[in-house]
Amino acid sequence: MLRKPVTRRTFSAMLGSFGATVGSVGQLSAQGADVVKIGAALPLTGPLSPEGIKQQRGYSLWADAVNAKGGIKAGGKTYKVEIIFVDYASNTPRAVQSTERLITQDNVSFILAPFGSGATKAASSVNEKYEIPMIAPSASATEIFDQKYKYIFSTLTPNNSVTEPLAEAISQNKSIKRLAILARNDLFPLAIAQEMEKSAKARGMEVVMFERYAIGVLDHSAAITQMRAANPDWVYGTGYINDLVAMRKQMADLGVKPKAISMIAGPAYKEFAQAAGPLAENVSSSAWWHPTVRYNGKDVFGSTEAFNAAWTAKYKDDADYIEASSAVCGAIIQLGIEAANSVDPKKVRDAIAKLDVETFYGKVRFGDSGQINSLEPPVFQLQGGKPVVISPKVIKQGEMKF
Amino acid sequence: MTRNVITTWIAFAVGIALCAVLPIFGGNYTLRLATTVAMYAVLAQSWNFIGGLAAYPSFATAAFFGLGAYISAVLQTKGVPLYWTWVLGGLGAALFAAFLGGAILHLRGHYFAIASLVVAEVLRELINTTPDLTGGGMGLNVPALKMSVGEQAQFFYHAMLALFAISLATAIFVHRGKSGFALQCIKQNEDAASILGVNAYAYKSLAFVLSAVFVGAAGGMYATWTRYIDPTDVFDVLLSVKPLVMVLLGGVGTLLGPVVGAFILLALEEVVWRNFLTMHAAALGVIIVALVLYLPNGLMSLVREIARRRGRA
Amino acid sequence: MIYLQLLANGIVLGGLYAAIAAGFSLVWGVLNVINILHGSFIVLGSYIAFFLYAYAGLHPFLAIVPAGIVLFALGWALQTVFINRVVTAPVLITLTLTFGLDLVLNNAMLVAFTADYRKVNLATPLPALELGSVFIPGDKLAAMVLAVALTYGLYRLLGDSNVGRAIVAVRMDREAASLMGVEVKQINAITFGIGALMAGAAGALLSIIYPISPINSTLFLGKAFVVCVLGGLGSVPGALVGGLALGLLESLGGYALGPEHSVTLSFSLLLLLLFVRPSGLLGRRGYE
Repeated sequence: MLRKPVTRRTFSAMLGSFGATVGSVGQLSAQGADVVKIGAALPLTGPLSPEGIKQQRGYSLWADAVNAKGGIKAGGKTYKVEIIFVDYASNTPRAVQSTERLITQDNVSFILAPFGSGATKAASSVNEKYEIPMIAPSASATEIFDQKYKYIFSTLTPNNSVTEPLAEAISQNKSIKRLAILARNDLFPLAIAQEMEKSAKARGMEVVMFERYAIGVLDHSAAITQMRAANPDWVYGTGYINDLVAMRKQMADLGVKPKAISMIAGPAYKEFAQAAGPLAENVSSSAWWHPTVRYNGKDVFGSTEAFNAAWTAKYKDDADYIEASSAVCGAIIQLGIEAANSVDPKKVRDAIAKLDVETFYGKVRFGDSGQINSLEPPVFQLQGGKPVVISPKVIKQGEMKF
Repeated sequence: MTRNVITTWIAFAVGIALCAVLPIFGGNYTLRLATTVAMYAVLAQSWNFIGGLAAYPSFATAAFFGLGAYISAVLQTKGVPLYWTWVLGGLGAALFAAFLGGAILHLRGHYFAIASLVVAEVLRELINTTPDLTGGGMGLNVPALKMSVGEQAQFFYHAMLALFAISLATAIFVHRGKSGFALQCIKQNEDAASILGVNAYAYKSLAFVLSAVFVGAAGGMYATWTRYIDPTDVFDVLLSVKPLVMVLLGGVGTLLGPVVGAFILLALEEVVWRNFLTMHAAALGVIIVALVLYLPNGLMSLVREIARRRGRA
Repeated sequence: MIYLQLLANGIVLGGLYAAIAAGFSLVWGVLNVINILHGSFIVLGSYIAFFLYAYAGLHPFLAIVPAGIVLFALGWALQTVFINRVVTAPVLITLTLTFGLDLVLNNAMLVAFTADYRKVNLATPLPALELGSVFIPGDKLAAMVLAVALTYGLYRLLGDSNVGRAIVAVRMDREAASLMGVEVKQINAITFGIGALMAGAAGALLSIIYPISPINSTLFLGKAFVVCVLGGLGSVPGALVGGLALGLLESLGGYALGPEHSVTLSFSLLLLLLFVRPSGLLGRRGYE
């Protein structure tokens, strides 16, 4: 208590002098011009940093694209975009705190969400309080949308939209009858595993094993030995790249050779194929987006091809679904501002809720809960180290190999 | 000596006055930071009972915090009145500490540290495997309060501040009382203290329980405050490490050290966070290393040193 | 027979755990320092092996040597510059110091290498050993054998060399050793260096088995903790016994109770063991 006066002064000094200087991208030249400020708290360090950095890349690409075209026009003015990034170090309470800081200290008008369903859910109570729209690129758990919040929008369809087409594609092989599921005991990986269990049972398959593994497990050999004993035709593993690479390697080590292996959410990332090497071959997966989809959009990128080109020009690789989903979050804010002809957060929120528009990412239309309901998630399989799209038909590149 | 006491009381009065006027001048974010400082101070003050007074290096703070958070959150979803859930969160953590203390307080030094450290891991996994009651890995939603944004910010600030005041009052009582003396004896030489008739076990258990009860209640408040908890967040090992760093910053075994440490840690976190986008952990590391090497007795020792020199001059 | 397979898994895993923990145990036992840096040391060893394989084609098993040398130098320097200054201070001080140093090292690795997971994929992996229905992965087995050999090497070093005897002397009685003419600070630095060397070598071995990322450092550290307590700290044979015990426990227990309990199981056992037998399975024997 003795320290209170000093510290309070320190806080105000800090807030004043540093507030404006934190890691902003985009426009340094925007000073003086009209600027729309957008906040993004991301896990740039800590266990979730690979995913956090993907989102940062997606958000930044959109901001660069908008500013390169002059900015966003609304109400007779042209606004440059400035994204204020904060690192929450993979610590959810800090994500919540950072979101409040972005809104109250940095005065952002919009929020680009943190990574994953958990942090998004936690942060969504803050932006809801302040009536600031938040667009989430990596949150699919329906638990977020059951809260009946008005200011959260997600660009991922519910989990079953991803498990259904994959189960359908695998079930084309009639000899596949026994499914083993090994799921990370964590919000998203567990939820999607439970959906897959339903999708498989609906197709008459038998789920011969459903095990959860603890977060922070290095070695899966016990579970995989059990898997071998269950003798599955198909294995569905969920988790993050770390878990899935280890799981795939240990399956090979212990001689588990099912007819089909599917995993989520690793194979959609190029890092998975790099780290798993030859073992990545024929691993199938499904995701909400894929670089081979083709849409013509009314967003700043114009089309999927143009988006891919812009991405490759900036980052020298191909975008994965999280990265594209992050970029479209920015584009959705832009489309909302243009439709509302205003940068007022409440008006833009109403405009976003009414959007029904094509983008490079696919059709964007939100249900009453704020979750997108207009996507057709693709199924793909790694063949020769590259993802090959199996479904939907319009963008099909090859047949599923068993 | 009397002058010193008067200064202390004046400082207290000023501190209380400032706490009281903060909601009038500070915005919601300032209040959030102030609430966090109060929460940190509760954790640090609590740790000081076992770690500072008795010199038992406890890493069980996260376990108590998470346990309190889950007890309180589950009760809230069952419709138990809010304040009762906090009280029960605190009591639940205290009860747990009493049992745990019985099992591990005979350990010393590193062994005690490790034992207390893994308790949070075990509890986290237990929560993970009881999805029906606690939501498991999916986390748990806590019912929202029917208040405006500003009212909530003030409410949690006052609640956390009140909890801190209670923990401080308890600390003053303990430090000045017989149990504080007994714990000091244990710290210096436990075996000798036992021979001289100090019931070391009882006092250690008391200190351990005290290090849990307020932390459990703080966990409960935290759950209501953020409205969503999951096992990874509330059993985070940093919750065990930070109190220790705060007390080291402020001064081990002192009354005001934990509070001072809580302020400094939060100020450091804020400054470092804002200026080093992805290097803040390293920056914090450098600060910790510098403090340990150059100021191992905390900032309060520096303050006292300066006061002493002035007094002489 | 599924239990034979589980047994084999557990033994292989246990050998690797022993290598993860040996250096940690040494530092804890001799210097009375809980070295929070240990996990990051292992990860750094893995990165050295990864880059040497990617750019120079050096097999990770051979990368044990360069990784060990680099880590020894790093550990020696850290002890000399920082830790020696407070090495006799209470547990809390040294632990907080290594915690601070770990924040710096881990953050530096994160910035230098990013958090993206990497893995060494050998061009010619060793084939799996098939004994009836029991599969033993070749690379993992070889890594485990090397890990056990390294641990044995450390044991011999401590028993047979002058430096080793000085280390053991410091462990038993710092002051007496000092009176006998042992340069305690120098021995401290060498001990910490050897601890880091063991971590680096273990990291190189693990690079072909587990994905590599700075994020994994705490997982390794957690294993080292448990193994040390199981085996009794400061004891090399203890690290081996503790490692095997943990490996078998995770393997058999993970099967019996389900993999989501494997972490809980090992930590619960740790608590139980601390309660009934705090000196570890082997008791406090040290290096003799």
